[in-house]
Amino acid sequence: MLAPEQMSRLMIAGTKEQMGPVIAELYRRRLFHIEDFVGQEEYAGFKLGMPLEGATEASVDLLTIRAASSAFGVESDGVPAARRVSGPELRQRIQTELPEIDAQADELAARRTRLDTRSRELEARIAELEPFTAVSIPLEYYRGYENLAVFAGRVPADVAITAPHEKEFSGSKKGGFLAVFTPLAHRDEVERQLQEAGFTPVSIPDETGIAADAITRYREEQKSIATELESIDRQLQGLKEIHASFLLAADELRRADVEQAEAPLRFAVTDLAFVAEGWVPKAEAAEITASLERVTGGKIHVEELPIDFVHDSVPVEFNNPSFAHPAEMFMDVYSRPNYREIDPTLMVSIVFPIFFGIILGDVGYGIILLAIALLGRRYLKTEGWTLLLNNLRNASISSIIFGVIYSEFLGFALPWEPLLFSRHLNIGGGEHGHGPDAAALLIVSVWIGILYITLGRIISIVNHWRMDHGSHRTKAIIAQTGWLAFMWGLLIVIWSMFPIPYMLDLTTLGNVVPLIGLRPAALVGIVMILYGLVAIGLDNAFELVEAPTVISHVLSFARLIAVGLSSVAIAMVVNYISIGMMIEPALANLTPVGIVLIIVGIVVFLFGHALNTALGILGGGLHSIRLHYVEFFTKFYKGGGRKYNPFGMNRLYTSEE
Amino acid sequence: MVDVSTAVMTVEMIQASQAGLKAIGAGLAVGLTGIGTGIAEMSIGAAAVGATAENRDLFGLSLIFTVIPETIVIFGLVVAMLLLFS
Repeated sequence: MLAPEQMSRLMIAGTKEQMGPVIAELYRRRLFHIEDFVGQEEYAGFKLGMPLEGATEASVDLLTIRAASSAFGVESDGVPAARRVSGPELRQRIQTELPEIDAQADELAARRTRLDTRSRELEARIAELEPFTAVSIPLEYYRGYENLAVFAGRVPADVAITAPHEKEFSGSKKGGFLAVFTPLAHRDEVERQLQEAGFTPVSIPDETGIAADAITRYREEQKSIATELESIDRQLQGLKEIHASFLLAADELRRADVEQAEAPLRFAVTDLAFVAEGWVPKAEAAEITASLERVTGGKIHVEELPIDFVHDSVPVEFNNPSFAHPAEMFMDVYSRPNYREIDPTLMVSIVFPIFFGIILGDVGYGIILLAIALLGRRYLKTEGWTLLLNNLRNASISSIIFGVIYSEFLGFALPWEPLLFSRHLNIGGGEHGHGPDAAALLIVSVWIGILYITLGRIISIVNHWRMDHGSHRTKAIIAQTGWLAFMWGLLIVIWSMFPIPYMLDLTTLGNVVPLIGLRPAALVGIVMILYGLVAIGLDNAFELVEAPTVISHVLSFARLIAVGLSSVAIAMVVNYISIGMMIEPALANLTPVGIVLIIVGIVVFLFGHALNTALGILGGGLHSIRLHYVEFFTKFYKGGGRKYNPFGMNRLYTSEE
Repeated sequence: MVDVSTAVMTVEMIQASQAGLKAIGAGLAVGLTGIGTGIAEMSIGAAAVGATAENRDLFGLSLIFTVIPETIVIFGLVVAMLLLFS
């Protein structure tokens, strides 16, 4: 909690005969994060390992499997299979079935390509023939003359040619097709005249007979190709249904084989021995060691190495109670925590839903979102979606709770008065007396900001204490106290000048000091501000430019209320337009027009609330997470941790061997 | 014909015009800050879409970057609420 999983650095050394069993065991346990061997100094005399036996065969199989999968259109959807295939059974099937499937896929794919090519070829032929359909001269008459020149092409309009010639023209509004036959002697003259008339020649197709007949023939052939392609697609679809589960499982099995066979490429080896370095969770280190010794019959040396925080980058795995797991997604979007800093996932997992609820506190919307989250989990089963939908579920529950407190249901009031503060607006003239407690709510949101930012600064002090050393550590910690003093000093000065509800009132404390015109409390505040500025400046003078962000970051929390109130306003306006302005007047005096009005009113109601639900997810979610990323994390969070990626596979289709 | 020079302003009229000016102020606060946010988000949004097109993993981060200037319009909204409700 509040810290990532504790890691141990393990070094595994043994003779080369033990490499196979060690790799298989590490792969099976899926706990060892391999630290790649890159020729470090302390490994003088070692070199990179070679792949284990069987790597080539596995890779070749994998290629075949992938080719067939892509021919059939088989894709993994990331959802675990209902029935896992066992390793030995699958290996047997790969031996016997894969060649046949490969041949089928190859044959169908080749036929498909051939037909596709032919179809495109026909399309080009038809395009070539198209202009000649305008004139009914057999195509063989356009060529093969010794004394005649032939021009065929498109012209904007008919052309008058002065030289002796024979001409066929067929025109339409868009221009026409022209074929001119002229003795060779007049060729240049005719060509010039044609060019002046805007003639664009087309190539004469290598065909015989009437162009229109040829086109009909080709269209027929295209049609038969299309039916053939359809039948091939049906066959592919049928094969996909038969072989999909086998191909996915085979892919997984052979991928596991390849990954294991290629693991030595990340180890340091000599002619007879190998050394592998990597990370395992501290709690599992002893057990891993024991199990490695078991599979090798004790012929292995496993040692825990000390961690050198300056040079080693320790892989980071979250270590949170299960309710906080969904929030890990938000952390990874920003950046995984550094190994030694405080991991704020737990705070995010608690505060994010609360912020969401404060913004979208409405029982109706909460129920809609909860339904979306629960329904979505049935259909979207990949890991990313599950985390996202779990976040939505937590947020919507909080939204329902705050909806009860605010007494809101789709913008209507529930049968009780708001428990703490009212967000009910006075839309459409009103029965609700005093309108929303906007000012009080804003002050509460500012309080949330002050406290959350203070928490962030305190965490920053702890982080600097843990991660820095020497004078830098002292200066950084003093700077953080400076930021705190600056913020609270500013608050004390404000409190001593203006009485603000729900905040400390220092305006009555002591008398105004003559000459300065301020109360004693304000002087304390000013001293704190000055200390803060000096402390910040000592660490880094450029940071002083950031001083105004103290105010803007605290006030930024006002969005909790502002965005929320705007969502309430939209809901109430939708209700007022649909019910107050359409349905109620129509019901009072039922006419045919009134019935149409009622239907329109219902449409407006549904559409408006659907829109507001979408806005609610966006507004509530984005603004809540943004308050964490921008206002909270910037105070202390470094991030940049390396993801813990253990050697092994999350099996979806096969069972362990 | 109303004689302007002798027209009397009642308390109700003053209150009504005060409420109207408040509403105009609130509208300006939200509208102008909205324009400001829009201008600021314009270039961020374009860059964010470009980055996401190159690498889909950046979607989350670019969404966050895009909403950063929204603080401006939130301040406008807060000012409008303080004008209208307190």
